[in-house]
Amino acid sequence: MTELDPVIHAQARLRVVASLSALNVGDKIAFPRLQELLAMTAGNLSVHLRKLEDAGYVEISKTHRGRTPATLVGLSRRGRLAFEEYTESIRALLDPAQSKEQP
Amino acid sequence: MLAGPPSSTLYRKVVCVDLDDDSPPTDAAAALRLIQHQRSATARRLDPDARLLYWPWGVAWLVGFGLFFLRFSPGDRALVPLPSWLPLTVLFVLLASAGAIQAVVSVRAYGQVTGESAQRGRWYGYAWALGSVSVYAGLGRISEHLPHDLAALLWSATAVGLTGALHMAGGAVWLDQDLFRLGVWISVINVIGAIAGPGWHPLVVAVAGGGGILVAGALARRRQRQRQQP
Repeated sequence: MTELDPVIHAQARLRVVASLSALNVGDKIAFPRLQELLAMTAGNLSVHLRKLEDAGYVEISKTHRGRTPATLVGLSRRGRLAFEEYTESIRALLDPAQSKEQP
Repeated sequence: MLAGPPSSTLYRKVVCVDLDDDSPPTDAAAALRLIQHQRSATARRLDPDARLLYWPWGVAWLVGFGLFFLRFSPGDRALVPLPSWLPLTVLFVLLASAGAIQAVVSVRAYGQVTGESAQRGRWYGYAWALGSVSVYAGLGRISEHLPHDLAALLWSATAVGLTGALHMAGGAVWLDQDLFRLGVWISVINVIGAIAGPGWHPLVVAVAGGGGILVAGALARRRQRQRQQP
């Protein structure tokens, strides 16, 4: 059986990564907006983001918008690759014949 | 499924992750459903309804240039005796409203997203603003020496031409074929309108241009729905 990336193969983190993968490459989203999209508590989302950051899958930057501090979250190149590989493995598990045709 | 990969560095990573806090999807099908649902939900929220971005401009052109045609008709006539200030006022009010709707819709959708997309959007906006100012500055100097019908043609043909070119450029920036094709269409009908001459140009722009924007909006919306299908 294919090995699945344990960092992503967890419901909440998979949702986080899948959401971030819908952003364009090179884009980041503000933490509160991501929280709203995922309907997670701030604490919960922070924990998962820290784990994803530790794995090198997400990049978190702190910046200022005017006077208010803002936290921006985006998928790293490595994270996007890991997500694509994970999705590909899942497809392969579901339908080994078709997985080569559907990237 | 959760056994660590053979490589020791990767294995260590598995150990660091607390597996109890977040259970894996029940099976592969559930994982795929979760991915597709989350991606399409996010795309729906971050992608404003294409109709809101296109249709206000289509209505502005249809009504604004339509009134212009009815009041300043071919052969220096007025098909409908409207006050002479009305067509241009209505056109500008509708264009300003379309711009305002676009701004509100865009900020609500992309307001919390930064990075390359935001940079493209900002520069594209500058191109519209600066491009318009630089073109109209020259026109203003020339058109005062022209008879009214030719001045009107010069203004509207230049404005529509600039719009067509910038739509094509936008299509190139975002690789958006709806936007690019609309730019081509606007440019072509602008040429046809300019050849048809004073009086006719606004009719062509109202019907083919405004109508074209409405159709492009419907097509863009259809494509968007297909893309957002979970």
